[in-house]
Amino acid sequence: GTAAIAACDDGEMVIKFSHVTNTDKHPKGIAANLLMERVNEEMNGTACMEVYPNSTLYNDDQVLEAMLQGDVQLAAPSLSKFETFTKVYRIFDLPFMFKNMDAVEAFQKSETGEEMKDAMQRRGLQGLAFWHNGLKQFSANKPLEMPGDAAGLKFRVQPSDVLVAQMEALEASPQPMAFSEVYGALQTGVVDGQENTWSNIYGQKFFEVQDGITETNHGLLDYMVVASVDWLDSLDEGVRDQFMTILDEVTEERNAAIAEVDAENRQAVLDAGGTIRELTPEQRQAWVDAMKPVWEQFEGDVGAENIAAAQEINAGM
Amino acid sequence: MEVALLFVAIIGLLLVGVPIAIALGFSSIMFLLVFSDTSLASIAQSFYQAMAGHYTLLAIPFFILASSFMSTGGVAQRIIRFAIAVVGHMRGGLAIAGVFACMLFAALSGSSPATVVAIGSIVIAAMRQVGYTKDFAAGVIANAGTLGILIPPSIVMVVYASSVEVSVGRMFLAGVIPGILAGLLLMAAIYVIARIRNMPKGEWAGWGEIFASFRDAIWGLMLIVIIMVGIYGIPGVTGAIFTPTEAAAVASIYAFIVATFVYRDMGPLAEKNNDGQKKSLLSKPQAIVTALWHRDTRDTLFDAGKLTITLMFIIANALILKHVLTDEQIPQQIANAMLSAGFGKIMFLIMVNVILLIGGQFMEPSGLIVIVAPLVFPIAIELGVDPIHLGIIMVVNMEIGMITPPVGLNLFVTSGVAGMPMMKVVRAALPFLAILFVFLILVTYVPWISTWLPTSLMGPELITN
Amino acid sequence: MSGPIHRRGFEETAIAVILGLMTAVTFINVVLRYGFNESLIWGLEVTLILFAWLVIFGISYGVRVTMHLGVDAITGMLSTRPRRMLAIFSAVICLAYAFLLMKGAWDYWAPYAGLYQTEGRWFPLGFDENTRDRAFYMTDQVPMPGFLKFLEDWINFGEEYDKLPRVIPYIILPIGVALFLFRIIQATIRILRGDADSLIVSHEMEDDVDAARVED
Ligand code: NA
Ligand code: NA
Repeated sequence: GTAAIAACDDGEMVIKFSHVTNTDKHPKGIAANLLMERVNEEMNGTACMEVYPNSTLYNDDQVLEAMLQGDVQLAAPSLSKFETFTKVYRIFDLPFMFKNMDAVEAFQKSETGEEMKDAMQRRGLQGLAFWHNGLKQFSANKPLEMPGDAAGLKFRVQPSDVLVAQMEALEASPQPMAFSEVYGALQTGVVDGQENTWSNIYGQKFFEVQDGITETNHGLLDYMVVASVDWLDSLDEGVRDQFMTILDEVTEERNAAIAEVDAENRQAVLDAGGTIRELTPEQRQAWVDAMKPVWEQFEGDVGAENIAAAQEINAGM
Repeated sequence: MEVALLFVAIIGLLLVGVPIAIALGFSSIMFLLVFSDTSLASIAQSFYQAMAGHYTLLAIPFFILASSFMSTGGVAQRIIRFAIAVVGHMRGGLAIAGVFACMLFAALSGSSPATVVAIGSIVIAAMRQVGYTKDFAAGVIANAGTLGILIPPSIVMVVYASSVEVSVGRMFLAGVIPGILAGLLLMAAIYVIARIRNMPKGEWAGWGEIFASFRDAIWGLMLIVIIMVGIYGIPGVTGAIFTPTEAAAVASIYAFIVATFVYRDMGPLAEKNNDGQKKSLLSKPQAIVTALWHRDTRDTLFDAGKLTITLMFIIANALILKHVLTDEQIPQQIANAMLSAGFGKIMFLIMVNVILLIGGQFMEPSGLIVIVAPLVFPIAIELGVDPIHLGIIMVVNMEIGMITPPVGLNLFVTSGVAGMPMMKVVRAALPFLAILFVFLILVTYVPWISTWLPTSLMGPELITN
Repeated sequence: MSGPIHRRGFEETAIAVILGLMTAVTFINVVLRYGFNESLIWGLEVTLILFAWLVIFGISYGVRVTMHLGVDAITGMLSTRPRRMLAIFSAVICLAYAFLLMKGAWDYWAPYAGLYQTEGRWFPLGFDENTRDRAFYMTDQVPMPGFLKFLEDWINFGEEYDKLPRVIPYIILPIGVALFLFRIIQATIRILRGDADSLIVSHEMEDDVDAARVED
């Protein structure tokens, strides 16, 4: 759909929020629009927010550069896009780090998680909020039941060291590919499989061109709402507090709804005729055993104490 | 209103002779500096990212390169020989063969001017020899050459797909039926004119010549198979091997090998031995390596690079303009204005045709698509117009733009290869332009022509945005 | 393809080599994926960088040999004097464009090199000493070649780069645009002197394209 236009009045501070998804179906797009509506209503006269969806203004690779330049104020790239700013967020890409979304939520709200928002300060970025998309599943053009089934297959992954290492642990071949090419490449067989959340698998219709989706819940796809330190510093304290309150409330509301959104998308895949394979506890353990060794490679980057904190939360779930 | 000023500035600068790319870029920069708070650094970022951030546009240099190897390496003349063997004996046969050869070359090349150069430089001279007028020959080739962007692969389709994020593979499939249809329409028209004016016909050379010429051309024609099988696979045998972008790179390498080592019309094996025969690879095995930096290879790479640079300079500045328009949320404003004015699908498509026909008078096709596609795409989706269908409509409009002055790339190139003044080519192309107009109306109001093939092979187009 | 002697300079060779490398890397990645289930994970990114280099480096060459496209329908109809005036006007527009792009290119690149951006919105009014350093910013997947290690001490406060820093690919912006500006200045002088009458390719001379150009 077409984005609502916020006609900014003179004297209002313009807040540009650039992202890469649609505005009405994707969890990030929905949250961004909700944020825009609330800011424009409650901060009318002070601030005015404009959302640029669908990569129309910047894609995820360019938006952080533009933010540091001061050309855009808000963005919410996936956590793996922050590699160059801090390696701490690699913890969220490590396979089977979190038991479920409740564990993710608890970790992000813990002291460790809160501190992580500040990890990029010295690079000029301030994390404001974690936005959920959900846990990732594997899909391929043949049934994936045991990790060995993925061996020798070509998987499209985001270009991140962790995800590359994860595919190599499965003896699969990680392939770089622009997101817009993925559907066509899966359909025609240029690559064999991919990993994504339910909302992306349904939204991008990947299930149509795959043998089935294996419910591995092996990884996390989350976003970080960020702003530049310089921009935040330039705001009046009152304005900043009001904005942060709205952002926190929107975050709380949309993150709480993520389980429901995930379940809806999963059901929608089934309703559309897609195949979903659930894993037995033994099968799941085999996937964990195959992929967990990746943790060691990146322990230095993410901090052993952070991994321990995450596991402690898992244990309490 | 400021936007109207922006477009007036662009057209004004174009008319006084500022290069297209700079007219677009300069107007956009001025607009940005005056009406927004975005920095000049963001312009530089857009400029760099026009290339580095657009994976699909990467197909442009590769398809240009493949086309250069094909034209330099003697593929065109072999295709023409085959075309003449098949249809040359009909009334107006050489002209019809010219169209057929253009269609075949279009299936190898992604650009219209390249098709005119490759086929036109040989066919126009041949037509003159057997008694056609220069005007008729030039008119036929200028028109048939536009098929270069309608029959896949197509640079303009790549640009459209990249601008609105639809699949390049789908766009290519969508062009197959319209491309063949347009070619047949042209041939039919030529046949009718030829009967009326009693134009020359060639000799029927027999099935032997068809077979022999096909065997000679097969290495070039194989490229069509490689591109199609590579992109779409063979059901039940193999999946696809590469993406459309990669297909273009593979095509370049293949064309280089065919031109240098099979046809030996360029590169180290093109030099004749004492007996007047071209050298064989066996007698000169080091050619495998030396061909890589042979003067012919380097010259072809350089020529393709030059064309890429001029084209991408325009596209990059059109992308700067697009950035400015997006930054000011112009597409949404136009969409809202048009939708609230109660525009229906038909009215909308007529509007698109008019905008593109006018724009095509001034602009190079790829640049125009970069600017117009994002403006009309949201409306099209809202009105339920299939994005693939919209893409084909745009491509056909661009074909028309290429043979109408003042900016008509095919006109320039035809005047070059035929050695005629521009305005004379314009008049010569006019009767066939009417056919393209009829074809445009047909394609606009019969979406089936464009959407049937991609839908039946790849399922319905999905709109994820 | 025998004919007059082609004397190719550095620019011509660079254009050919960059395009050749782009094609080769892409082709090799197809072969690796289809034939060996492997990939150069950095192949795509390097090809895209080379694409940007090809075009940004090439536009100055385009000015030098007057190959950029334009509309000459109106100017072609004018008599010498008004045509000359319009050519001079066009040259001024091109100069302004190149100048603004130059400031943009510097401002964009400088922070990645640990240097200062310029102050001022239209014209550089000195250097902005509060420029936030962006030298830490690396490419996604391009490996860090050993011979560039010195950059870690030079601009990154001794911190290790595990990928190629963006200062390298982006350097084509200030260099390419500076060359472009230089060529535009040369072209303007040519027009003022009456040695050239436009900045765009003239289509009456299209067939000269194949004719050999002997350059120094
Ligand atoms: Na074509
Ligand atoms: Na035109």
